[in-house]
Amino acid sequence: MSLHPANLLIPLMVIIPLTCALLLNVLHGKDRTVKIISVVVALALPVLPLLAGYGTQYFGGYVPLAQNSAIASGLPTSITGSALSLFHPAITYFFGSGQKLMLFILGVVALFSIFASLYEVKRPSGVYTYLLFMLAASIAALILTDDIFNLYVFFEIAALTQVGIILVSRVKGNYETALKYMILGGIASPMLLIGIALLLGVTGNVNITDIAYSIKTGLVNPNSSVLLMACGLITFGWLYGAGLPPFHSIKSAVYSKALPNGAAMLQAFSVFMFVALGIIILRIFGYLPFTKVFIIGISLLAMVLSITMAITQTDFKRIIAYLAVGELGYIGIGLGLGTVAGITAGLFQAVNEVVITAFLFLGFGTVLYKTRQSDIRKLGGMMFESPKSAFLVLLAGFAMAGVPPLNAFQSKLMLIQATLKAGIPELGVIMILLSIVTFMTFMKAFYAIYLRSKPKDLKILEKKIPRVTMVAMVAFLVICITFGVFPQLAIGYLQPLAAGLV
Amino acid sequence: MIMDTQSASLLTASSLIIIGIFGTVFLDNLIKKVIALGFVGDGANLFLIAMGYKAGGIVYIFMPGMSRDWFAQNASYPLPFALVLTSIVIGASTMAVMLGIIIVLYKRHGSISASKLLGDGNNGK
Repeated sequence: MSLHPANLLIPLMVIIPLTCALLLNVLHGKDRTVKIISVVVALALPVLPLLAGYGTQYFGGYVPLAQNSAIASGLPTSITGSALSLFHPAITYFFGSGQKLMLFILGVVALFSIFASLYEVKRPSGVYTYLLFMLAASIAALILTDDIFNLYVFFEIAALTQVGIILVSRVKGNYETALKYMILGGIASPMLLIGIALLLGVTGNVNITDIAYSIKTGLVNPNSSVLLMACGLITFGWLYGAGLPPFHSIKSAVYSKALPNGAAMLQAFSVFMFVALGIIILRIFGYLPFTKVFIIGISLLAMVLSITMAITQTDFKRIIAYLAVGELGYIGIGLGLGTVAGITAGLFQAVNEVVITAFLFLGFGTVLYKTRQSDIRKLGGMMFESPKSAFLVLLAGFAMAGVPPLNAFQSKLMLIQATLKAGIPELGVIMILLSIVTFMTFMKAFYAIYLRSKPKDLKILEKKIPRVTMVAMVAFLVICITFGVFPQLAIGYLQPLAAGLV
Repeated sequence: MIMDTQSASLLTASSLIIIGIFGTVFLDNLIKKVIALGFVGDGANLFLIAMGYKAGGIVYIFMPGMSRDWFAQNASYPLPFALVLTSIVIGASTMAVMLGIIIVLYKRHGSISASKLLGDGNNGK
């Protein structure tokens, strides 16, 4: 076990928000104390990944036997002389450059979501802040863990936290949506668990590196029908966790029933779940001929279904929600191409999407904050009520559609170049067309909310937008411009992760 | 013996999952739906625990007098037993939250019919 202080920060990225969440739970009613603790811990979230050194964290100090001669010397040769000596005996967290960037972006989104909630929610000491910290901890664990059962546990915690975030939102129909989501999860999660159990049964392991090693080196038959079934079941869990078809409709409903700052965190969970489990599928089942084709196919379906459904919506939260699910398709196409360029572009798109969708949720959330209205048919004239916010939302929409010099332009351009390199230009054409539809859908909502004349019965209930929300939007814009002008800043971190998957 | 313990466990697990999925899809009463989901979860847990079964094996507790070689060859695999405990806790928490939501919905609407509360015409869509 490495005792380097920078490496000890790796588990703290999960432990600190988790402990903070539990602590806040016992401070109910003490608003001031909760605010102080939340601000301090939220500020630490983006800082910790920057300070942590790259490496592997072996929980309990249980390193593989090959690295621990003291224990290995007393064991029979049937263990020390076999692959067992290379396997990881306990939960392992891996922290590389790709994880660093993703955790930093997660930290920034969590920081501003928590700040916005502290100033927008009437009682900061309620369960809402607790839930946001719990979700941040769960997502961090999903990104870091190299253990598929540990991933399942944090996925379940995150799913329960999502339900909590919907339940406290007091949006009409939130309980019904939460129950629907849980019922679907009640089937999808056990399927994921059975997939993991099958992998355990075949390889004797739940560590992802060890499972991939066993398959690659022929310790288990790679064409075993049990492995194929495990692949199918884990993929089913992946579709549910990330909100891909046939779960795209319930996922967008989940976003729309949450408060905007909560929805920003929920979409971050979906994107990182999509990436984390997508990478696992590629690492373990990437050798199967249909894996990449399936990822591309389901991604295309998600894009087409979600973006076309976004056009027909009249609730702006639902519009962003569908667009967010549709944008997952771009990431999936990058992963499905299976090339270094494609996976790097997909991961870059994932990072960008987390920032842009959070930006849009907070931006449109200012309209909800001022009017308590999210139906675009009943809105209008908000440009004159909050011009600064309108300008920022417009830029967020440009970023999502891939307008230069903003970040998604670079990632989408990279994706199109990767499809051309892979000899599938048709995918590039579809992505361009869907980007245009995304832009049209966004502009339809923007026109209805900001540019159209204000309806007579629309009441402005809050005059001022909280300053912290405006600061958050400016911060997201800075990230969008920075990654748009200097894409190498992000690509440099993501490329090693992509190269390790090919 | 008609079948060994592991095969019987896997068969029971499959039956629980199939019955559970059938109940979840076709039953209208939300409480019954939750019970059916419990069947699916229990089936998955039984499936997981069956993976640790070793025919003729012993419980994985290293007792004085046992040789390491003999223990390594005869003990059942302990990992699934540890994992299934976590899974049971998760299942219980999920079920508690679902039942809590159903209680709230019942107080609001006076019904626990899925088609009425979660149907297409409802806001929860």
